[in-house]
Amino acid sequence: MENRVELRNISKSFRGIVALKNVTLRIKPGEIHALMGENGAGKSTLMKILSGAYTKDAGQIFIDGKEIFIRNTHDSKKLGIGIIYQEFSLVPELSVAENVLLNQLSVTGIWMKWGQMKKKAEEILHSIGFSIDPSVKAGSLSVAEQQIVEIAKALSEQVKVLILDEPSAVLGPQEIQKLFDTLKKLKKEGVAIIYISHHLSEIFQIADRITVLKDGSSSESFMISETDRNSIIKLMLGRSLDAMFPVYESRIGEEVLRAVDIVPENQSKSVSLALNAGEIVGIAGLVGSGRSEIVRAIFAADRRKKGQIFLSGKELHLRSPQRAVIEGIGMVPEDRKQHGVILSLSVKHNISLTNYNGISNQFGFINLKKERNNSTGLIQRLLIKTENENQEVGKLSGGNQQKVALAKWLNRSCKVLFIDEPTRGVDVGAKVEIYNLINELSHKGVAILVVSSETSELMGICDRILVMRKGQIQGELSKKEFSEEVILRLSIGENENKTASVNC
Amino acid sequence: MNFNRYLQFVVKYNTVFIFLIMLVVSAIVSDVFFTSSNLFNLIRQVTPVGIISMGMLLVILSGGIDLSVGSVVAMSGVLCALFTQTMPLPLAITAALVSGILVGSLSGYLVSIHKMAPFIATLALMSIVRGIGFISSKGAPILVSENASALTDFGSGNTLGIPNPALILFLVFAITSVLLKYNVFGRIVIAIGSNEEAVRLSGIKVSTYKFSVYAITGSLSAIAGIITTARTAVGSPVMGVGMELDVIATVVIGGASLSGGKGSAINTLLGVLILGMIGNIMNLMIIPSYLQQIIKGLIIIAAVLLQRFQAKNN
Repeated sequence: MENRVELRNISKSFRGIVALKNVTLRIKPGEIHALMGENGAGKSTLMKILSGAYTKDAGQIFIDGKEIFIRNTHDSKKLGIGIIYQEFSLVPELSVAENVLLNQLSVTGIWMKWGQMKKKAEEILHSIGFSIDPSVKAGSLSVAEQQIVEIAKALSEQVKVLILDEPSAVLGPQEIQKLFDTLKKLKKEGVAIIYISHHLSEIFQIADRITVLKDGSSSESFMISETDRNSIIKLMLGRSLDAMFPVYESRIGEEVLRAVDIVPENQSKSVSLALNAGEIVGIAGLVGSGRSEIVRAIFAADRRKKGQIFLSGKELHLRSPQRAVIEGIGMVPEDRKQHGVILSLSVKHNISLTNYNGISNQFGFINLKKERNNSTGLIQRLLIKTENENQEVGKLSGGNQQKVALAKWLNRSCKVLFIDEPTRGVDVGAKVEIYNLINELSHKGVAILVVSSETSELMGICDRILVMRKGQIQGELSKKEFSEEVILRLSIGENENKTASVNC
Repeated sequence: MNFNRYLQFVVKYNTVFIFLIMLVVSAIVSDVFFTSSNLFNLIRQVTPVGIISMGMLLVILSGGIDLSVGSVVAMSGVLCALFTQTMPLPLAITAALVSGILVGSLSGYLVSIHKMAPFIATLALMSIVRGIGFISSKGAPILVSENASALTDFGSGNTLGIPNPALILFLVFAITSVLLKYNVFGRIVIAIGSNEEAVRLSGIKVSTYKFSVYAITGSLSAIAGIITTARTAVGSPVMGVGMELDVIATVVIGGASLSGGKGSAINTLLGVLILGMIGNIMNLMIIPSYLQQIIKGLIIIAAVLLQRFQAKNN
C-alpha cells in the first residue's frame, strides 16, 4: 500500500542548534502511527513542520506519493492535515461552537448563522462520543473538555492526516477510551493518524506501527506486533555519557530545606522533599509532570494550595519570592529570556538586581565603584563572555545569558538554590562551565535542587534524583542506583515487571 | 560610509537634534523668539507640564500610564485657593499637596495591589478628581485670598533672574535624573518596566515601586496645580483639561517607550521644551490655535517615527 504521508530526510535547526537531522517518517492510510522519543527528541518540531507551523530547512514531504510544499498552516489545512497541539489553541472568549468551526467561519458568509453552527458543532462532538453545550465559552470548560473541543475542531474539516500531540495528558481513562474509539473509526475511514505519546501502555493499545525518534537524528520504525516495551525503552535511551561531568567528592551536611506536602496551585497531588547542605538533588520527569511547578511553589513564585516549608528546622511562611530571597533561597527559572534575566538591561544591572542592599547606602544611593567591581568580579569568576559589564544581556549568547542568571544568585549568599533547566539551549563548552559552577557552590555548602529534562545531565551532577510523574514523586534514586532506564520507566509509569496496561 | 555614521549619530541623539532644529527654526521665523521676555514666558508656560512630566516619566518607565494628572492639577489648584481663605498659607499648601498625593496613592494602590490596568484605573480617577475639583469650587474660579500674597508673589517672582516656578522644575528634573542614575529606586523602576516578572523572581517587591511612581506623580501634579494657582492668583476647575496628553507627548517625544523600561530625564526635559517651543513659536507667528493642534500632532508623529528608525538601526 502506498504511503499517505512521507516525510523524507527532514532537517531543521534553530539558530544553529540542530533540532532535526535527516529524519524520515512514513505513514500509510488507515494506520495509527505512534511517534515516541525523549523530551527534545524532535517529535513536536517534526509535526510542526508537517502542519506548517515551522518550515523545514531541507527534505521533502509527500502526500499520496505527490511532493507537496507547505509554507504555512493554511497550506497544510488545505491538504487535509489536521493537528491537535499539546498547547491548546482555543479562543477562550468564544463559544464552543465558534471554536469548533473556527476554521470555517469565513466560509459561511459574512453573517453568523448561530442555529446552524451550534447544530453542526453538536453533531461533531456527538460523533466523537461527547456532549458539550456548544454555546458556552471555551474558557469556562475543564482542561479535559477543552482537549475534546480541540479534537472536534480538528475533525470539523475533512482530514486525510490527523496529528495528535500528547492528547491523553489531560484526559481521564473514560475520555481516553472514547478518544480511542474515535481514532479507530477514523482509521476505518482511511485517515492516517500520527499519535505522539509518552505512555507506552496507550501505544500498545492503539497503535499499528511505531517510530522512535532519538536526538532529532535517527529514527527507527517497527510494527507494534513485532516489538515490545523493553526494546522501545532501550531504543529511546542509548546516548553515550561522555566525560562532560566533572568528578567531584560531595560533602553532604545537615538538612537545610524541608518541604512537606506541597500542593502547587492548579495541581492536586502533594510532594514532600528535603535538601541537605552541600547536596545536589535532581528532579527528573517528563514535561508537564509538575517538576517546575513544585520548585516555583516552594520559592513562592506561584501560590500553594497547602504545604509547609522548613529552613534549618524553622518553619517559613513564604508568600512571595521576596521573602524566600531574604531567607536565603534563590531560583534560576526555567525560561531564561522571560524570567531569568532582563534582556534589555546590562550585565551589571542584571547582576545587581538581587543584591542592591550590598551596594547602596540607607538612602538607596548606589556606590557605582562597588557595583562595577562586584559585577566584573562575577564576570571573571563565571567566565562570562561579554565586552564589559555594560553590555546588554540580550546581545550575549544563550550560555552566557544563563551564566548571568546564575551570577545573580552568586551575588548574594544563598543557602538553597533552585535551578530549573540549568543548560537548556546552552552549548557544550558553557555546559561544562555551568556544571563546574554548580559543584563549586555545593562544595561551599549550598543545597541545590536541579530540575532538568536531560536525564544524563542529572545523572552526571546529582547526588540524588527524584523522578516525578503526574504531579507526584514516583521514585527516588541514590547515586549508585542511577540508570537512565529506571528514570525513564519511572517517568512514564512503566515498571519493569509489569506487562498489563494500567492507566492511572 | 561617512554619511551613514553621521546619520546614526543624528538618529541616536534625535531628541537633541529635534531640539536644536526647533531653536534654529524659531530664531529664523520670529525675531522676538530670542528676547528674554519671550523666553521667560516660554519657560513659565512649560513649567507645569515639565514638573508633571518627570513623574509621568517614572510611571511610563515602570510600564504604566497616568491619565489623572490634569484633573489633579485642577483639584489641587482649586483646593489651594480655597484653603488660603480659611487656613494659614503653609497649611493650605500642604493640604493641597496631600490631596494630590492621595489621588496618586489611590491610582498606585489600584494598579499595584489590585493589578488594575493603569489606563483604566487612572481614567476613572481622571473623571472622579475632575468632578471633585468642580464640586469644591462650585464650578467657578476661586480667587486666592489676599492674605496669601506670599503665594502669588512667589508664583510671579524671580530668584537670581529666573522665574521661581522654573526653579522648581529644574529641582524636580535634577532629583529625577539623580534618582534614575544613581539610586536603587530608579534602577528598579526601569527594571520593572523592562521585565516585571524577572524583577519579582529576583526577590524584589514590585508593588512598592509601582505604588510609589503613581504617588510621586500625584504629588508633582499637585505641585504643578499649586504653582499655576500661585502664578495666576486663581484656582480654576477647568485648569489642566487635556494636560495629560501634553505630558505624555513630552515623555514620548523625549524618546521614552510606552511599553516601559526606556527613557531618560534629560530627554524628557528636552521633550518638554520642544513641545513648548512648538506652541510658543506658533503663537508668535499668530497661527490659529486649531491649526496649532494639527501641527503639534504631526510633529509628535514625526518624532516617534524617527525613534522607530533608531530602534531598527540598532
